[in-house]
Amino acid sequence: MSDDPEVDALVADRYLDALLAAVDRHADDAPSHAALDPDVREAARVLRASLVRVHPSFRFEERLAGRLAELAATQASPALAAAGRGALIELPGATQAILEADPLVEAILRGELDPTDADAVDRAARARRAAAGVSALVIATASTAAAAATTPGIGGPG
Amino acid sequence: MPGPVFGRRERSTTASVVVLDRDRSLVEAARRDPARFDALYRKYLAQVYSYALYELGDHHAAEDATERVFLRALAAMPRFREQARPEDGPEASTFRVWLFRIARNTVSNERRARRRRPATSLEAALGAGLAIADAADLEADAVTRDEAGEALRAMRALPDDRRRALTLRFVEEMSTAEIAGVLGRSEGAVRVLIHRALGAVAKELGRERDARTTDGDPRA
Repeated sequence: MSDDPEVDALVADRYLDALLAAVDRHADDAPSHAALDPDVREAARVLRASLVRVHPSFRFEERLAGRLAELAATQASPALAAAGRGALIELPGATQAILEADPLVEAILRGELDPTDADAVDRAARARRAAAGVSALVIATASTAAAAATTPGIGGPG
Repeated sequence: MPGPVFGRRERSTTASVVVLDRDRSLVEAARRDPARFDALYRKYLAQVYSYALYELGDHHAAEDATERVFLRALAAMPRFREQARPEDGPEASTFRVWLFRIARNTVSNERRARRRRPATSLEAALGAGLAIADAADLEADAVTRDEAGEALRAMRALPDDRRRALTLRFVEEMSTAEIAGVLGRSEGAVRVLIHRALGAVAKELGRERDARTTDGDPRA
């Protein structure tokens, strides 16, 4: 180990490169620099073997492939191609399921939201949650009022 | 007229060679015809799903987040700009970096929304009959099940940025340059982040080993 954390980090990084490349050679370890902390090396070896990549179910894969095909068909439509930034886009009925899965897709299609912009996505998601909360409150209030109006003795005709 | 010259190394007239995005042909095909996005989807499905699963620790939440990532990526394809850099290396894919920036934002939102719900054990989620995507990953035999469980627990206890960096390095096998692109940090900062994360995991694994020694566990 050195006294410089950046040098230690660089030594560890080189070891990780070698360790990850060793998988192709079916080896479970790789040579390391003498300066590498043996505990860090062991932790890297354990993580390399433990953190496996996993695949979702076939059913999920095909369902999502179908949704993406629907969205692709919408994108290929001349109406969308002709629409400018911020234009209102008439989405076909089948696409409503996509908007239910992710309401932010509509703003992305309109060119109003960049999904790689963390702050913009966060703001849009918060606004969505707040709007959903207000809608739920309005519906709950309306339901309570309707129930009160139709219940004898509470405000309805008795 | 000068004839062709073979075997002579010519000096490059440009300062650096721009490395092409290894997904360039797939990206261009998807731009021409959005239905061709399917090839990119199939190529990166397991990677995005794995990232979501390690971050969220729940199989259903990971599926929901994966769905949003790909819907957003397809919707935003017209905005994708290839920005290959020589330092990204010959295997780098700027499309993959772009896709994982979308994944990082999508999964972060999901984590915030789920913060108050009880977290599922990642070991349970990983062991819930999910198929291992890459046969080479079966090397997990090289460590014991206990060690793997301890490593996963230690990783989940890390601060968000360290945990994300480890997931991208080990599960997605991204280079430091790619991780820097995904997390929006310098390569040096990513190297330090990963080194500190490894140190924290090493400390935790050492603590577990010590505890087993104290208990007289023969595995210690």
